[in-house]
Amino acid sequence: MLRPFTLHRPATAQEACALLAGLGEEAAVYAGGTELLLLMKLGLLRPRHLVDVKRIGGFGDIADGPRLAIGAAVTHRAVERSALVQARCPLVGSVARHVANVRVRNVGTVGGNLAFADPHSDLATLFLTLDAAVELVSPRGSRELPLAEFVRGPWETARASDELLASVRLTPWPSGTAAAYVKFGVHERPTLAVAAALRLDGGGRGGGDRILDARIAVGCVSPRPMRVAAAEASLAGASIADVDGAARAASEIAAASVDPADDLYGSADYKREMVAVFVRRALRIAAARARGAEPSERFPHAVVA
Amino acid sequence: MSGGVTIHVMVNGRARDLEVDVHALLLDVLRDGLDLKGAKRSCDTQVCGACTVLVDGLAVSACTYLAVEADARSVLTVEGLAEGESLHPLQRAFVEAGAVQCGFCTSGMLLTARAMLAENASPTRDDVLHYLRGSLCRCTGYRKIVDAVLAAAETVR
Amino acid sequence: MSARPLRVVGQPVPRVDALEKVTGRARYVTDLTVPGMAHAKVLRSPYAHARVKRVDATRARALSGVYAVLAGADLTWCDPYYGPAYRDRPVLAIDVARYEGEPVAAVAAVDEATAERALELVDVDYEPLTAVMTLEEALAPGAPLVHAGQPPAGHFADLSTLRPQPGTNICHQFHFARGAAAAALTGADVVVEDAYRFPSVQHVALEPHAVLAAWDETGALTLWASTQNPYSVRVELAKMFDVPLARIRVVVPHLGGGFGSKTYAKLEPLAATLARVAGRPVRLAASIPEAFQTVRRCASRVMLRVGFRRDGILVAVECDADYDVGAYADIGPRVVQKGTYTATGPYRVPHVRLEARAVYTNTTPGGAFRGFGVPQLAWALESLFDVAADRLNRDPVDLRRQNFLAHGEEFAPGDTPIDGKLEESLSRAAEAIGWTRASAADRGRGVAAMLKASVAPSVSEAIVRLHADGSVTVLASAVEMGQGARTVLAQIAAEVLSVPLDRVTVVQPDTAVTPYDQTTSSSRSTAMTGRAVQVAAEDVREQLLAIAAPSLGLAARDLALADGAVVAASRRLTYAEALALRFGMSGGELIGRGVIAPGRTAAPLGGSTPFWEMAVGAAEVSVDEETGAVRVERYVSVADVGRAINPLLLEGQDEGAVVQGLGHTLLEEMLYADGHLLNGTLLAYRVPRADDAPPALECRFVENADGSGPFGAKGAGEGGLIPVSPAVANALARLTGVRLRDLPLTPERVWRALRGRVR
Repeated sequence: MLRPFTLHRPATAQEACALLAGLGEEAAVYAGGTELLLLMKLGLLRPRHLVDVKRIGGFGDIADGPRLAIGAAVTHRAVERSALVQARCPLVGSVARHVANVRVRNVGTVGGNLAFADPHSDLATLFLTLDAAVELVSPRGSRELPLAEFVRGPWETARASDELLASVRLTPWPSGTAAAYVKFGVHERPTLAVAAALRLDGGGRGGGDRILDARIAVGCVSPRPMRVAAAEASLAGASIADVDGAARAASEIAAASVDPADDLYGSADYKREMVAVFVRRALRIAAARARGAEPSERFPHAVVA
Repeated sequence: MSGGVTIHVMVNGRARDLEVDVHALLLDVLRDGLDLKGAKRSCDTQVCGACTVLVDGLAVSACTYLAVEADARSVLTVEGLAEGESLHPLQRAFVEAGAVQCGFCTSGMLLTARAMLAENASPTRDDVLHYLRGSLCRCTGYRKIVDAVLAAAETVR
Repeated sequence: MSARPLRVVGQPVPRVDALEKVTGRARYVTDLTVPGMAHAKVLRSPYAHARVKRVDATRARALSGVYAVLAGADLTWCDPYYGPAYRDRPVLAIDVARYEGEPVAAVAAVDEATAERALELVDVDYEPLTAVMTLEEALAPGAPLVHAGQPPAGHFADLSTLRPQPGTNICHQFHFARGAAAAALTGADVVVEDAYRFPSVQHVALEPHAVLAAWDETGALTLWASTQNPYSVRVELAKMFDVPLARIRVVVPHLGGGFGSKTYAKLEPLAATLARVAGRPVRLAASIPEAFQTVRRCASRVMLRVGFRRDGILVAVECDADYDVGAYADIGPRVVQKGTYTATGPYRVPHVRLEARAVYTNTTPGGAFRGFGVPQLAWALESLFDVAADRLNRDPVDLRRQNFLAHGEEFAPGDTPIDGKLEESLSRAAEAIGWTRASAADRGRGVAAMLKASVAPSVSEAIVRLHADGSVTVLASAVEMGQGARTVLAQIAAEVLSVPLDRVTVVQPDTAVTPYDQTTSSSRSTAMTGRAVQVAAEDVREQLLAIAAPSLGLAARDLALADGAVVAASRRLTYAEALALRFGMSGGELIGRGVIAPGRTAAPLGGSTPFWEMAVGAAEVSVDEETGAVRVERYVSVADVGRAINPLLLEGQDEGAVVQGLGHTLLEEMLYADGHLLNGTLLAYRVPRADDAPPALECRFVENADGSGPFGAKGAGEGGLIPVSPAVANALARLTGVRLRDLPLTPERVWRALRGRVR
């Protein structure tokens, strides 16, 4: 049961922002509704106004350019099936395929997911490795904010109440980058998620065998998803053939860097240890992919993308 | 818009003009407004899939989907799967494989499988599991459901 | 009975309600409406234990569209307590709320939205009290009492000797002994002992509890209820409202799952009360979170000491089991004694001392759940059996085989002798899992066996009506909750009367129409209700033969039924013709009756089990040692069922039982902190999904026609679930050397055990 509300369907971002500015606390931004409507059903949120962003020009688009721009109202399904995403940021499409369940993917949106800032968000974790930045529009104009600054904490973002998340911009990895995303957990939301990308010298398969730089993001186990710079730095210069040793070191740094709490998804010490395990595993898979192999190993209760 | 509005929806192949509240959920409009009781309210949180219907061929959780979103779209419920008295191959396969016990998850399973087959006519067992892992069943242990979906896929091919 | 081969019994025919279920036409309670129907919502206690000082419904009642608002203090005109063991559960909390989620007030309104709004306008003053949330807290000396004083006993004969311990939270004690267990253990060569814990888990039937109650102008009550026991519900309501049984009608449409959660009255009393006060029909539908606040499995701590001789003979078992039955006893006391009764499992044990206690806590009431106390005990015994096998340097399959009760052997004085061949189930399971073949280095195998008595004494009655056109109606009150009861009853009637299955209609349970059946639980519907249907159909057959004999000029014993006719050699009289003969017109019907009521016996639980449910499970597992995640790669279940009336439905039952068992084995646990349930929703409570089912799952059946049910059938449906947790734990122990004693075997628990850090 939902309490009555007024549904606004602005055609432009300006209109939407003006509504948000005017309605303030009474309004909620509405895209797929997979999070919002659930919170409303539970009585945790009672907005009198919903501002539907699905009709705003451009919000449903995926645009190419130096960066890949995914409109806020693009569904996870559209990301999964986009040839453009597949071409520019293939891992993004693979991860989108595993968000929640098929029904949520059909309706839920990238913008909604990022703006909701669930610490367990797959996309937020992965996007940190793609130098993601969100485009925020408001009556004052637009601004861009790195995702790492946009997501402040659990369900908390830097979005002002009259701001609208319009798109997220991803910087595709240079060629010669191999990557993997692994999430692990028994519950509806994972216990942890790791995104790992390795850029190799030589620019391609069979080319170089040294890691030029690495990107590692860990999600779910801290108040917000984080890159682990120290772990990344520890991998620079490591040889792909010999990645296990470097991966072990990086995984220990990553485990020490997270800030887990005891909760339904696990005890803090277990989560910490699982971060180490899955950073190692994600790096191993990325390294295999760097060598042109597609590892078949799978782990119970883990999804590998 | 607020209060009551009129939406135009193709429900199971039939064009309908429906008076709905803006805040009405699709599940309630189908069950109470149109007497299509096949979709069920169970977890009410998009986890179980018992409320699944297809909107423009895509599976959605009708329990958490505004009816107004179905405006100018087509909705398929379990009642629309069969062609008259002729069962859809999925329905027939479920019957023959023993994939139905209490039946509460059945409508959601059938429609989710139907959506999958429209996308992938030759699913592997893993493909089926990928789609159906978001649909819960407490009675069957899933084995016969998966078998039925694979059998139906073969029939349709 | 005819010696010709069975025609429809034993066939894997599609269930008779498959078509309505796959087309969305099957009706469940929340699909039903009646004119003028109101919608109900329930206000529930936010505290695990609190005095309810004041409930002010003034503002709620004033809301337009509200027909009634009730609190416990308003229930002065009826007997507000109900419960099958103790009548300890009030329809709405009276003076005190004893668990988080207990109904404190209820609203009936024109629609759900109004009812919800009205709930928010009900003001309740609570005074929180200290709560006891665990067995340890509830049993501690001086612990606060969940119930002060002993409530009156409920309506079951086998519980007429309820034995609470006054001044404590112990509401029932069960004791059984033979021989001299303590001495035998002292003298045993190997004694294994430990405490095993089974968690609180919830049934998660996809359809939560739902009721539609309507009083008519004559003061008679009709209920459509999602219940497994229409007759139990009826008797509760009759007592509550002081109305004759004949004026209360409980109708049961399809259930969206039961698993024990819908046994005995749950929300029916509240719906009926609201309907009475509102003066209109009321539909009360619970949500999944409310189901978590209505009933769960009784969690347990079982301490077992098991003694063996050096040669492997089991000599003694001592059991001290505590079951957490929650805030209201529900059927907890029977769960406790039933589970403990077979604490010795399917084995021969000369010396036995079994003690069990049902303990109140301030949590969701614990009641019946598939297995009914036996999973809790089997978890301990079957795990310890493997520990003993290790100590004795014996193969676990072999050690079990050595100690199994034999076919025909006594289990306990006065009770039915063992009516199956455990050894056959074990051999088939061991063979199917490849027990004697070396397993891969990363796999481990384990087995477990079970034995369970079915509820006794119990009563099932049935009526079979043969109509003028030769079609048949079966009237029986076995509830269809997915297990296939309606189909099996139809098959039995079709077989006896030799008519096509589609000429048999099984009517939905309706206490105004279908005769008494005690309960749809305890795996008893095929054996007991089915037998009643068989007897009723045989009654019709006898009548047919008696009508046909003079007409065909033969003795009845020279006649048989075939294809809708009475036949002998080349003579044939169709049923339609027989009825026309009997009634002198095309009309009338033959009515047959079956009553199965073995009655009380000298058996320890008051009646002799109609059959023993016995089964073996074998699991092959792998474990990701770095994470502790266990995967069941293969599982084999072998159940000794006597006769599979419908092998397709039976296989489906056991496949479902195994996967449901994997739930409490690997995934499920109701978690509490600071008096609150943390995970009473499917967002946070994890039931098995499609990809949790073992990739290789086989369910097999031993059929020796040795049951007392129709065509030699026994019961099934619980045997597939009970061995799962010990089989998996035994497999894990054999693979990793690590023995876990607390369920579920979550990745974290296993990981911790693998590291030797026991928490």
